[in-house]
Amino acid sequence: MNKSLKKTIRRIFQRKDIIWTGLWFFGLITLWIWDVLFLNKPDLLQIQTAIINTFLMSLSVVILSVFWGWVFSLIVFFLRKLQNQIPYTFFIFSINIIRSIPQIIGILMLYFLITFLMFQNIINNIYIIMLLMAVSIAIFQFLEIMDLFIERIDYYRKTDFFNALLVCGVKELTIINKEIFFKNSRGHILNKLIALFGSTIFLQCSIDFILSIGLSTKISSVNFPLTLGNLLARIDSKQDILAIGHTIMNPTYFGNLFFEHLQGITIAFIIVFTLLCIYKISNAFMERLES
Amino acid sequence: MKRKIIEHSLSIIFIAIIFSILFVLLSQNKKKSQINESSVLAEEFKIDFIDFDNPLHTSILKETLNIFYNNNAADSLLLLYEIDLWRELPSSMQLSGNEISIEKLIQILIMFLKFVLVYILVLGLTYYGVQTLAVFRFVSNKQNKPPLLIRVFSNLKNLKKGISFLESLKIIIASISNFIKAVLKIVFYLILFSPAYVIAYSLKTKFDTDSIVFMIFLGVISNALLITYSQKFYTFLISESNKGYVETALVKNLNNDYSFKSILPSTLLQLKKNFPGHVFNHIFINAQHQYYSTIKEQAAYLITGLIIIEMALNIHGHLGYELMQNLLYQKYHMVLVAVFLIYLTVKATEIFVDIFIFGENKKYQN
Repeated sequence: MNKSLKKTIRRIFQRKDIIWTGLWFFGLITLWIWDVLFLNKPDLLQIQTAIINTFLMSLSVVILSVFWGWVFSLIVFFLRKLQNQIPYTFFIFSINIIRSIPQIIGILMLYFLITFLMFQNIINNIYIIMLLMAVSIAIFQFLEIMDLFIERIDYYRKTDFFNALLVCGVKELTIINKEIFFKNSRGHILNKLIALFGSTIFLQCSIDFILSIGLSTKISSVNFPLTLGNLLARIDSKQDILAIGHTIMNPTYFGNLFFEHLQGITIAFIIVFTLLCIYKISNAFMERLES
Repeated sequence: MKRKIIEHSLSIIFIAIIFSILFVLLSQNKKKSQINESSVLAEEFKIDFIDFDNPLHTSILKETLNIFYNNNAADSLLLLYEIDLWRELPSSMQLSGNEISIEKLIQILIMFLKFVLVYILVLGLTYYGVQTLAVFRFVSNKQNKPPLLIRVFSNLKNLKKGISFLESLKIIIASISNFIKAVLKIVFYLILFSPAYVIAYSLKTKFDTDSIVFMIFLGVISNALLITYSQKFYTFLISESNKGYVETALVKNLNNDYSFKSILPSTLLQLKKNFPGHVFNHIFINAQHQYYSTIKEQAAYLITGLIIIEMALNIHGHLGYELMQNLLYQKYHMVLVAVFLIYLTVKATEIFVDIFIFGENKKYQN
């Protein structure tokens, strides 16, 4: 093996975040190949659609959260500068109310509103429903990004950095957006986004799983876009998961899990494996950033 | 501190006012909603010659409904689906209207108390678990041991032609033991990252998943709560260990040996962790102090997790399940009461943590 190749391999192995990203993709692709070989086609198609929908919605949540987090952090920054502190106090008070509502309750209420709109036939386009679902989750997730943005601004305001640039004639907005966020906080923001993507997948799957009970007697989870959560909530997937328990007491049944209970096992594995990999990627990325 | 208490109180009053307004609005619409689908469904049960448990009867009903709805199968199926859902409801929910009675209120308060009890227990257990896991990880990292799988390979590398059979056997046993440890670690990680409903359904055939003990177990072990917050505690430990006072302590000859001879594994498992004479004692105390404000976040995450468990597992007689059922059957008064009680739990935790942090800060003030 030549030296440069060795060097490249060593460098890759030092970057655990890249290894975990690779492992994640490798795991998902291997699983997909296995499913292509052993899972029936209709189920395979459903799983593929569910993965795409879940990841797309989580990505939308992340994008919306970044946008709102950025806008709200700027609002906080400018409100703090006002002599009259009432608007700032009122703003923080409102934000804290959202913070005190458990995410699951808040999202459930907003999903209920979506259900109502679907029932009234006001919305029936699947993409709009998906977007509204992403908005519902983002409302309770963007606060984390907002906090990070505010923390980064505060950190640099404490140092000479901010004032020095102001003296140089750089506008406040440019300092915040370009110098603080883009040039000096990209890593922190990216790390937060990775973690947010993971927690969004968890929340989304949980909500969709709960929705299998239904949010209305007229609308069931069948009316919602197919996601990993509601696919896992289906009776055949649940039976596949029950088979894991059976295997604990009857280890000889283990092999059957990979052939006869593939749908439920695949979905459960995708959720758990994705959460694990995202956690590892986020931590390794942060460690590299700090070293 | 006063300001924080006022802020929390205002927030509670504000939400209480909003909920009261909603409550009144719902009561005004009561008459309209009295003719709801529940009562329409109840009419269906007056046909006493139909036994809904008899497949023949339900098939005949389905055929009749098909004729009635001009072969629109969707409408008849929907009605049958609603009847099924109605029959699954507890009788107390079937018979009552949209209003809230004292009996119902007491029922929901009992469920709430049960929820709070589970919440406090799980919060205590996870607080201990978070610290223990983080401390174990920190100490293990300080020991600079290579990862388990790398240890397996490096052990196997030592298998050379010249060594004796006994030595080879020792190496092989060490490799196998490290490999088993690595596999167990992966399984442990996968369990910690599993959503509660995946673990619960895996064990449903073997355990009573509706019991409070199982709920506590799920609350602690699942939903990535332990791993997420132990990572936060670990980050605080790392940042504290990089501070100047640690170096000063080392210069003053404080113990800095992280082997399990110096820091016994039993001390890591203690409820109140204490490492006298060791530099880690100071790192731990300061990291713990920083973590206090994260308890609010952990508590909110935990409440979300517990509600997910109750809702997803359909545990009858629990707050989350009842909230879901009341939402499903449009009994909004009950939904408002349940949501307000959950909100109060979060607020009570926030107030408690703020008072606790205030007290702790006072201790360290000169």
